[in-house]
Amino acid sequence: MKRDKKITQFAKKLVELSKDNGVVTEARVGEVLAGLKKSAHRNPLAVLKSFLVFLRREVALQTAVVSTPGALSEAALKAIAANYTAVYGRPVTAVTKIDASLIAGVRVRVGDDVYDASVAGRLKRLAENVH
Amino acid sequence: MKALFYSFFLACVLPFGLFAAADSHGEITHTIEADLEHVEESLTEEAGKLQAIAGKFGVTWPTLIAQMVNFCLVAFALYKFAVKPIAATLDDRQQKIADGLQYAEEMKTQLAEAERERAEKAKQAAIDAQKILAEAREQSKEMIDVKTQEAASQAEAIIRKASEATELERQKMLSDVRQEVARLVVATSSKVLSRDLSDAEKSTFSESAAKELASAGN
Repeated sequence: MKRDKKITQFAKKLVELSKDNGVVTEARVGEVLAGLKKSAHRNPLAVLKSFLVFLRREVALQTAVVSTPGALSEAALKAIAANYTAVYGRPVTAVTKIDASLIAGVRVRVGDDVYDASVAGRLKRLAENVH
Repeated sequence: MKALFYSFFLACVLPFGLFAAADSHGEITHTIEADLEHVEESLTEEAGKLQAIAGKFGVTWPTLIAQMVNFCLVAFALYKFAVKPIAATLDDRQQKIADGLQYAEEMKTQLAEAERERAEKAKQAAIDAQKILAEAREQSKEMIDVKTQEAASQAEAIIRKASEATELERQKMLSDVRQEVARLVVATSSKVLSRDLSDAEKSTFSESAAKELASAGN
């Protein structure tokens, strides 16, 4: 248990080292992995697993997944990224994801937060409000 | 017992009295002979008659004295060995009978007292029983009233709960119906919108929604 806690703290430090100006970059992640390979940690598999979990969480926090049934303009994506960067106080990049079940509109997911402006979501909320 | 003894004694002494009376009668005759000269002859004749009778019956002074001594001895022996023990036995039995009678009387008194106490206790017991019975009736009546009230309240509670359960069931049913209707409406609307909205309309709506989300936090 004590070892797991240490591994967790070590993985979180590795994630912090993977950021460049608060943003996880591929180059910094490669450097961290190279350094980790050289350090010959006693339990590299557990460290890598924890690092992967925290890295995915950090990437998810820095990524706004914009689901939409069709193509979305680049300007709209930039506006969304700028908005959530200002909201969360950290750099957030927007990526699109095609989802035909939304019918129309967009649904944005940042980490565990979901912002729904789709027709399907509105219909669902409408159905949930009917008692 | 004493009367019997005196009767027996008199019966035994009577011959001696008669004899003594006869003897005294002779002495009086001699005294009258001295005072009354004119009846001397007749008295002499009577004395001769008495002597003749005594001689005829064989009564002589030695025999009479012997018989008296014998009688006294027999009477003494009878008194000493028969009458006295019998009298003592009779007195003892009489005393026992008297004691028995007294004991019976005491027992009778005690029995009457016991009977009176029993009657009093029975009367008191009857009074107590009546009292207890009355209390029991009163308590049973109170208990019946309480149980009746409890049963009524329980019945009311059951009815109220049943009404509430029915109302809840009705509300749940209505809610289910509404949700089902809403689900059907939403599903139908989704299918209709998916089918009828053109790509341009969808794109326009998506751009509008993106702008809405982009300006939501500001």
